[in-house]
This record gives sequence, C-alpha cells and structure tokens, in this order.
Amino acid sequence: MLFSSITFLYYFLPLTAALYFIGPKKFRNIVLLLASLIFYGWGEPKRLPVLLLSVLFGYIFGLLVEKYRKSIYGRVFCIISVLISLSFLLYFKYADFFLENINALSGLNLPLLQIALPIGISFYTFQIISYTIDVYRGEAAQKNLLSLALYITMFPQLVAGPIVRYSHIAGQLNCGPSPSLHQTALGIRRFVLGLAKKILLANQLGELCSLFLASGEPSVLFCWLYAVAFTLELYFDFSGYSDMAIGLGRIFGFRFSENFDYPYLAASITEFWRRWHISLGTWFRDYVYIPLGGNRKGMGRQLLNILLVWLLTGFWHGAAWNFLLWGLLFALLLTIEKLWLLKKLEKCRVLSHVYTLFFVLISFVIFNGETIPQAFSQIGGLFGAGGLPLLSAEALYCLRSFWVVLLLGILGATPLPRKLFRIPAMAEPAALAALWLLLTAYLVDGSFNPFLYFRF
Amino acid sequence: MNTRKKDLAVCITFVLMFAFGFLLCTLLPKPRESASERRLLAQMPELSGETVLSGRFMSQFESHVTDTFPFRDSFRTLKALTALTLFSRKDSHGIYWADGFLAAVEYPQNEDSLSHSVDVFRFICDTYLTDGQSVYLSVIPDKNCFLAPESGHLSMDYDAFEAFFQEKADFAKYITISDLLEKGDYYKTDTHWRQEKIMDVADRLADAMGTSLSQDYRIHTHNGDFYGVYRGQSGLPLAPDSLHYLTGPAINGCSVYDWQNQRKIPVYNLTMASGRDPYEMFLSGSLSLITIENPNAETDKTLILFRDSFGSSLAPLLTSGYAKITLVDIRYIHPNFLDQFLDFEGSDVLFLYSTLVLNHSETFLK
Repeated sequence: MLFSSITFLYYFLPLTAALYFIGPKKFRNIVLLLASLIFYGWGEPKRLPVLLLSVLFGYIFGLLVEKYRKSIYGRVFCIISVLISLSFLLYFKYADFFLENINALSGLNLPLLQIALPIGISFYTFQIISYTIDVYRGEAAQKNLLSLALYITMFPQLVAGPIVRYSHIAGQLNCGPSPSLHQTALGIRRFVLGLAKKILLANQLGELCSLFLASGEPSVLFCWLYAVAFTLELYFDFSGYSDMAIGLGRIFGFRFSENFDYPYLAASITEFWRRWHISLGTWFRDYVYIPLGGNRKGMGRQLLNILLVWLLTGFWHGAAWNFLLWGLLFALLLTIEKLWLLKKLEKCRVLSHVYTLFFVLISFVIFNGETIPQAFSQIGGLFGAGGLPLLSAEALYCLRSFWVVLLLGILGATPLPRKLFRIPAMAEPAALAALWLLLTAYLVDGSFNPFLYFRF
Repeated sequence: MNTRKKDLAVCITFVLMFAFGFLLCTLLPKPRESASERRLLAQMPELSGETVLSGRFMSQFESHVTDTFPFRDSFRTLKALTALTLFSRKDSHGIYWADGFLAAVEYPQNEDSLSHSVDVFRFICDTYLTDGQSVYLSVIPDKNCFLAPESGHLSMDYDAFEAFFQEKADFAKYITISDLLEKGDYYKTDTHWRQEKIMDVADRLADAMGTSLSQDYRIHTHNGDFYGVYRGQSGLPLAPDSLHYLTGPAINGCSVYDWQNQRKIPVYNLTMASGRDPYEMFLSGSLSLITIENPNAETDKTLILFRDSFGSSLAPLLTSGYAKITLVDIRYIHPNFLDQFLDFEGSDVLFLYSTLVLNHSETFLK
C-alpha cells in the first residue's frame, strides 16, 4: 500500500488510528502489528510469508545469540542469522543478476528465476541483521515475538525506511507507545508536509523526467533539465517518504531517526553522505566499515574498506551494473577527498558546492540509467556530445512549463522556506487542512505513482 | 495561541477530516460513470481468494476508490487550476487553456504514422479504384494549429504536415482548407469544428470535386449545454459551448442508413445531443459505414468519404452536391473488406481526416 493513495489516506489510516487510540493501551502494539501486516499484505500478499519467516528467524536467532553470547556459539548463531537474512536478499533480489552475468560470461543458458522482488526486503533485512548483531554486541534480545515483529514490520518504515535500529525504539516497544498531544500534532504536520513533497514536487518533477525519456528531441538543455529534475525528484520522493514515516511514527508514539539533512547543501561528497539517507550510511558504517577495520588499520586498508562499502551500497540499491558503477563513483570521489581534495575544498565554499552538486547530479544520472550506455549517453548529452543541439522546442516548452516546480524544488531543498515563511500558529491547522485537500485533489486526479525507493 | 492550543487544533482538525473523509468515502453511493470524463468508472472488484492473492483486488480497489471519490469533479477542477495557476504549468494532462479555448498539445509530428496513413489510402486506391477515378485528399488542422503559435505551446509544423501529404499522396488531388479555418471555427471545449462555421470549407471541397452546393441553410441551436471532451479531460471550469446545426431543403430530404446497425438514422440525432457526447448528434457519432441519399439531388454524382468524426458534421453540408454520399471510417472497418460493402465505380473518393487522427494512424486497420 502506498502512503500516497486514497486507500491509505481515507481508509487504512483513519481505521488504524481509530482502533489504536480508542482501544485499550495494552493492545496498541497488537493493533499496530496487525495493521502493519495488512499494510504489507495489501501490496504483497504472496510475499507475506517471506516477511514472517524472516521475523521468526530474527526472533529465534536473537534469543540464541543472547543466550550463547559469551561463548563461540553466540558468534556462530550471529553469523548464521546474518547469512540466512542475506540469503533471502540474495535469492529474491540478486539471483537473476548473477545468473544473467554467468550466462553472459560462460555462454551458458541457465534459466532466470524471474522472481518479483518483495517490497521492502532490503530495508527489513538490514533491520534484522542490525538487531542480531546488536544483540551479539550486548543489547538485550526481545523476548516477546510480537514486539520484535512490530519492530521489523511497523508499517510507517517497513517498505522504504528509514532503517530503524532496534535500540532506538526498544524502550517504546517494551513500555507500549504513548504519544503525547504535541508529538501527535508534530507527526501530523510532518506527515502532511512529506506527502506534499511527494505529490506536489516529486511527482511533477517525475513528469518532466518522463517527458525527457519519451522525447525524440534530445538537446543539451533537455539533458540538464532532466538531470536537475531527477536529482530533485529523488530527493523529494525519498525524503518525503521519510518525513511521512517519521510523522506516522510520531503519531503512533515512536521516534525514528532523521534520514535527510538538506543533502544538497553539502560542500563535499563526504558531507553529502552524512546528510543523504543517513540511516543507510550509518548502517554500513556500523556493520561493515568499522568491523572491517575502518580507518584503524592504515590508509591502504581504509581505502579498500571505502571501496568495499561503496560497492555494497551501490549494489544494495539494485541488482544492476549501473548501481555498482554509481557506488564505485562515490568510492572514487570519497577516496580522492580523503587523500587530498577535502582540505582544498574547505578553502572555497562556492566551488566546493558546485563540485559536490555536479558529481551528485552525474551520479544520479547513472543511478537512473536503464543501462550504463544509456547513462553515459545522457551524461554526454549534458556537454553536447554527438553534436546535440543546445536547445529544442520540447526542452524550451518543458522549461516554460516546469520552471515554477523546478524553482520550488531548488528552494525546497534548502532551509530557506522554513526561514522565510512562518505560518502564524492560529492559521496552521487551516493551512494543513487546505494542503491536505489539495493533495487529495492531486491524488484523485492523478494516476498510480509509486515511490522510487520501493524498488530497492 | 500557545503551543498546546495549536497542537489541539491540529489534532482536532485532522480527527474530524479523517472521520468525515472515511464516512463520506464509505457511505456515499458510488457512481457508475462520470459524465464529465465520459467514461465508466472503476467498480468495486470481486473479493475472492484468487483476486486477493494475485493482488488484483487491491489494485482495482485503489482504482475504484479514486474513481468514485466524493466530489471527484470538484477535486479535479481544484487540481487543474492549481497546476495552471500556482505552478504555472503550461498544460494539464496535455490540455491547455488559451484565449478562452481548450486544446490538446499535439506534438511531435509522427512521420511513421503519416506514412502509415498514406500507405493505407494508397492501398484502398490501388485495390478498389480504376484509372481516372477522381480521388481527393484534405487534411483538417486541429485547434492547436491556430492557438499554439500565440500561446507558446508546442505545435507541429502544419505547413510541413500538409506538404507531406501533398508530396506523398500522389494518387490524390490535395485540397487545402487550412486557410479557411481559424480558432473560432472550433468549439471552445471540444476537439471538433463547428458546423455553422465550415460552410466555406464544404464549398471549397465541392468546388474542387466539381460539384456545387446549395447555400440555403437555416441555423438551429440545440437547447442544452455542450461540455466538450477537453473540458472533462482537463477538469477546467470552462463555460459550456452552444451546439448549432444546419438544415436546408437538401439536408431535410435526405435519408440516412447506418449499415453497422442495420437501421435508418436521422441526420441530426437530437436525443444524442443531450447525451454523453453531444457532438454525436451529427450522424449519430462513431459508425463504421453510413450512406446518405438525397433523392432531390440535381446530379447523379456519388461520393465515398473516408473520414473521422470531423466528417460527421461536414457531410450533411455536401448532400446538395451529391445524390449519395457513403461515409466510411477505416478505424472500424477493415480496408481489405471494403468491396463487400461499397461500390466504388464512378464515385468520387475523398479522404478527409484531421491531423489528430493522421498523427496517430495506428488506429487505421491494416
């Protein structure tokens, strides 16, 4: 089920909220768990057993790891748990990628599995892995299966993050969530603003990208419009989803970590990754980079660790070569920054912003390319490669039709609107209600438009 | 207002909105069709183990609740106005509002489609016509041709469009009519041209085909609002058009036969003028094969008119120049089987199509 759907907003959410707040407090976790399973089953009924099995493995191995933590068996159970979780991910997400490449390299004709990717598997697998490792590292395992199931399946963050650490919400799970009036109001505000980011900005920017991809009239201007629009679309789509998840979490009494911090204000790629998809970056830092030795084993090892982490980050986003290339590009840039560029960038803020935005933009063109040649062709198009004309009628039309959306997108990616526009407290409920109605209008009029991060 | 009061106001507002929204969505009766969008709305899907497990129930349920959302038309209008004003979008769903008219962005020119249409026309001529038979071709520019250059919307090069047919369709004599048309000759909210504005077009075509038309017409106005197809598609709150039609001695004396449904039909179906698509009043809308016979004609000339919906309002104006006009829509009847229904011998043949159809000629059966 999508947050940006009539089914969710006008049926699922009111019913869930009513049962949650009207029912006895002791049943709140159960209400949320059942709602989460319905939420997931609504979109992926056939994949519900995979999710439940993953939860069950996580629960059993969590208990085993805790029980044998001080002996070698604890380590063994932890490794088995991680391998089981990864095997689900490998089977459902990466099997066909490997088979395709084996076929291409060997000339074999191994049949592809053609399995539909269970929604959210990359996110909930990482949550289960982090839980098991945290238990191995000393965190108390969850004794209540329903509480652990709720941690993993909680619908606000189930399908596209943020990747919530068990330790962050263990207390709220155990004591039973009890949202305050202030938290609920903040949650509503955050949710509505997140929905607005998705519907009013990301979807319209997506229209521009679709027009570019369907156009038979490429031009340098069109390539730039596409690259900028997709860079903004991805941000508003994903950060909008995170806002909605965090907002829903607050409404139901849970505090999730922030996932974005104005990433396009970053003055280096290193800083960008501290601001973009924070929960994924910290996950790789805590469960891959640091265990590999991080920066504690010399520069050579550190650079190798960076390369490995970024190849994995790219691969996490999708089973395709362009994602690996995307990760490799960041590994290269981060290595260069680590070796000498970072200090030079600090001397010139303007240039450092231009440099960062340029490479982020290039990286997202690779990210969105259906194939690597297509991505390179689009990057070439930015510089007029192949004798591409500077302008085309379609590009100029798109610029005239989308300039407000692009401008709002650029401004919205900075804290400027928050600083400039302060809605009087008295008007806030009415403003949020009006925005809600406008968003409903866009949904009623619009077509099915899923979140980009659902495919990861 | 202190923070607590504001929080309380936010929470109460949304509790009320959730509650009312849920109740309205569940309790209000669900319409079966949308008059403004001229389509059947998605209905409640069948609930079964198979539809749930396949995910079909869920996706169809979403379509159903979106289609039948309370006050859907008002919400669509709100969205369209927001897109065009707040976001300064040039169009909404590919439809734009310029100088009081609604028009669809028709772009780019689809060379493959144009070639395909010429191939189909050539096939018909080569297969069914004899040497020396008179064949004509004329292209009706869509409204975009007259609006886009002023409003800054994307538009095809209509001169090149016509030049393509003049050059490639060497089997037919090309009749230019674009110079006779302007935006006011089209409905403001619909795709089509207005019958009362195209008498000069009919004259031009008749002249070129060697016949002459009576100028004895009387203009009638249909009582009722005509909301054209673009209004429904865009959701924009434009005032309705008025629907006029012409009568005269020749038109009044004609008998029309619908071969598709084996029935006599009127030239102007006034029941349909009050229906879902009022433009269908002209020769009862989309029909594959119609003959109009004029028993009072002063000539025995006959015409086979290959046409789209624009031809429905034009054909009655040609009746005074022909004893019989056969209207064929090759989107619904296969060109391979035309000889089963038509006698081409001695007839003039006119291919009269709008740019909208020629640019998407995949609808031509071949």
